Amino acid sequence: MPGILKTAFNRYWGVLLILVLWQAWVTIGELNAIVMPQPADVVVDLVGNPGIYLKNGVQTLALAGGGLLLGMAFGSLIAIACWFSRLATGMLVPLAMIFSSVPVVALIPVVARLLGYDIKTVMAIVVIVSFFPAFVFTSAGMRALPPGSEDLFQVLGASRKSRFRHLVLPAAVPNWMIALRLAAPSAVLSAMLAEFLMGQSGLGYMFRAAAGDFATERAFGTSVIATAVSVITFTLSQRAERAVNERWR
Amino acid sequence: MIRISKRRGQDIAYGAIGIAAFLGLWEYIGVNQLAGLTWPPLTAVLAFLFDPSRQTLFVRATSASFSMVGAGYVAGGVLGIVLAAVAHLVSPLKEGLGRLSSVIHSIPSIALAPLFIVLLSKEWSGMAIATLNVYFILFIATQSGLAAATRAHHDVFTVLGSNRFTRLIRLEAPAALPAIVSGLKYAVPAAFIGAIIGEWFGATRGLGLLMVSAMQNFQIPLLWSAVLITSAGSLMSFGLMSLVERFVYARYR
Repeated sequence: MPGILKTAFNRYWGVLLILVLWQAWVTIGELNAIVMPQPADVVVDLVGNPGIYLKNGVQTLALAGGGLLLGMAFGSLIAIACWFSRLATGMLVPLAMIFSSVPVVALIPVVARLLGYDIKTVMAIVVIVSFFPAFVFTSAGMRALPPGSEDLFQVLGASRKSRFRHLVLPAAVPNWMIALRLAAPSAVLSAMLAEFLMGQSGLGYMFRAAAGDFATERAFGTSVIATAVSVITFTLSQRAERAVNERWR
Repeated sequence: MIRISKRRGQDIAYGAIGIAAFLGLWEYIGVNQLAGLTWPPLTAVLAFLFDPSRQTLFVRATSASFSMVGAGYVAGGVLGIVLAAVAHLVSPLKEGLGRLSSVIHSIPSIALAPLFIVLLSKEWSGMAIATLNVYFILFIATQSGLAAATRAHHDVFTVLGSNRFTRLIRLEAPAALPAIVSGLKYAVPAAFIGAIIGEWFGATRGLGLLMVSAMQNFQIPLLWSAVLITSAGSLMSFGLMSLVERFVYARYR
């Protein structure tokens, strides 16, 4: 038992330190709850109103997860379509690279104006954000084949179709999983930012409402749930990546 | 004279065609209003952007935002590299610092908004979020870079009796440089995202504020212009870092 405590302390002293500093700062500075809530108050609000947190949290999680999968599907489908045409790959890959080195979240206001203030818009933004990593990584994976394998297929006289089915597609799978892991946090973040900016519903909207009412414990409670949603999405994608890689290599 | 192979030349040509097609499509949709009134043609956005009467507005917003990006980039970069070096040298701190960094990173930046609004003035939350975003990328990059020196090189340093500090400066730091520079490259968009998000929480100037108020007041050309400036800034800095990266890779790897 002390051994476990010691490892836990070694790992999480930083997190613990922040909690202690937070509490000390509120107590010593005698801050009003409007300025800064105590950690305990945040917990009380979380436990006291599970309904509203659950409802908005689930909504954001569903939008982020659904948008992520849809965007990944689009990205990889287009990457696959491009594999058959060198011109299409050559045209689209540089564009996708440009987009992935640009802050895509800056597009949220543009998309919001284009599609209207709606839940569908949140979804569309997540799809756009997840599209680019899926496209870039899938097309990179389809080109980085194991050394020699292409010659083998050539020697055995494989058709273009069977080469695609048995070599190129499997080769892209590990890369696809990397894209999923990289896109997951930004999917959650962009879903919440879209909700924040449009102010309809979801966790992002809860921030706005709580900040407007000076309900600081609600705002911090939302932060806790938002972090949980983000960690859940990230952990799931990481697990999926590990599971697939174990089977694939 | 740099010789460009045939395939490379073809890649560049196709890329140029792709970008031209994208810009052409943007213009076409805008001119024919295929996506409604909220999709302006590229030329309209550029005309709006370079209209002399709006110079002061854009220059003020851009300098406010880009200085936040720059300050956050430098602060986050220094913090990430220094803390990764500390974690590397002082092994008891290693695991705790790593966990703390990944816990902070797993908090979506929007969830930090209330904290920044309370702790700092709203003006600085853009820089603070940019700092955090950049910090995490560089912490991870530096950490993996410092472990990149080969066993054989380490053995040489041990045999010659060098101390911990010499080893860091003469062996591990140069070996870490490629990873650090790659980290710096990928940190560029992260810094821009951080600054823009921070401004959405209630800054009084900057491109992020311009975007939000233009979105709410249906100022479509203004909205697209602000997004265009941000993207162009990010793209140029990213391109610059790619050049630096190429140089460092050629020299240190």
